[in-house]
Amino acid sequence: MWKRTVAGRILHFYLAGINNQNFLMRDNETGTWWQQVTGKAIFGPLRGSTLEWIANDELTFALWKTESPAGQVLVPVSSDLKNYESSWEPKVSKLPVVISFKESGLADRDVVVGLEIRNTLRAYPMKALSPESPIEDRVAGIPILLAVGPDGKSVRGFVRQVNGSETDFFRKSESREWTLMDSYTGSDWNFQGCSIRGAAVGICLERIAILKDYWFDWRNYHPTTSVYRH
Amino acid sequence: MTSQADKKWGSTVPMSIFTVCVLFGACLFLIPAFIIRPFRYQSSRALAIALAVKQIAPRWTMVAVALTVILAVVLWKRVSRWQRVFFVAGLLLIAFSAAMARINYFEWMFHPVAIPGFEPAVSATLDASEMVMAVRLGTDSRAYPIRELAYHHVVNDTVGGVPIAVTY
Repeated sequence: MWKRTVAGRILHFYLAGINNQNFLMRDNETGTWWQQVTGKAIFGPLRGSTLEWIANDELTFALWKTESPAGQVLVPVSSDLKNYESSWEPKVSKLPVVISFKESGLADRDVVVGLEIRNTLRAYPMKALSPESPIEDRVAGIPILLAVGPDGKSVRGFVRQVNGSETDFFRKSESREWTLMDSYTGSDWNFQGCSIRGAAVGICLERIAILKDYWFDWRNYHPTTSVYRH
Repeated sequence: MTSQADKKWGSTVPMSIFTVCVLFGACLFLIPAFIIRPFRYQSSRALAIALAVKQIAPRWTMVAVALTVILAVVLWKRVSRWQRVFFVAGLLLIAFSAAMARINYFEWMFHPVAIPGFEPAVSATLDASEMVMAVRLGTDSRAYPIRELAYHHVVNDTVGGVPIAVTY
């Protein structure tokens, strides 16, 4: 998800092609070609520019609705209802790929959560993240936390520092609600990264931008990435 | 000698120019269409060539169309029936290429969202487990069902006064 303002000019994008199974978009205003996954202008007048990333989530509708009851939902285009594939994910996961990166031991269409901190890139395979959540790690010297939400599908990333002090987080398994506890203050935290009980109430952790992607796509456009190992 | 030279410059050379124009115009469409196709590997060099050709294709296919039409009109009465058939086939091919160079055929497969419409979360009838891409800017919060994004791929929207492109 990108801010579509470049040098004070508002751009309107459209689907214009494909590059190794990641789509290319073009803007109406300048005709520049942009790579969807990186937001980089790869050809045209704005070549070399990069769109500004907008923090966003991939959540289940139920979880999003709980967090944003006054929010709005994109209405389907009535003439395209037949084109919306309800089981698109299982179908897409079986499609062939045109590039492959075997060095990590991951399958091409394994889903990873990718992140970039201070030019350091790392991918976290969902198959590791789901059973181990929350995962603690350190990227470019920054202590981070990745957590799978109460729906078992949604993932969020945070900097695990409270009032500037690094801390560890644990899942409170005895609690019926989805809750993390930190070792520094002993407070409870919700999936939004905000403390709901304890000494840290009112504090929210700093969010980290993450991207869920297929391994081959993430690796192709982020060639310097490392892969998280337990 | 004079008569052979006249014949050469009377039809052979213009026919060759016509053929080159048709091939040139067709390549302006076919080269990028061949390189940028789904489920095929695109090297960065090939992609750069394809995009460079796509950039010039609208203008240069029109030049090719103009030249081929002029040549066909000038030569029409001088050439044989089979050469006229060749002219017609060439003109159809170059006209097709010029049209395709101006059309975004990717949007034939994945229709764009012209003006995104929204409904309140309480009215939406999505399944609880359906995945959405969500954003909050200021006090505005929006969800874009991935089932819809996976088809349209791009939604131009403005949330909390910020112009954004939702891409998937």
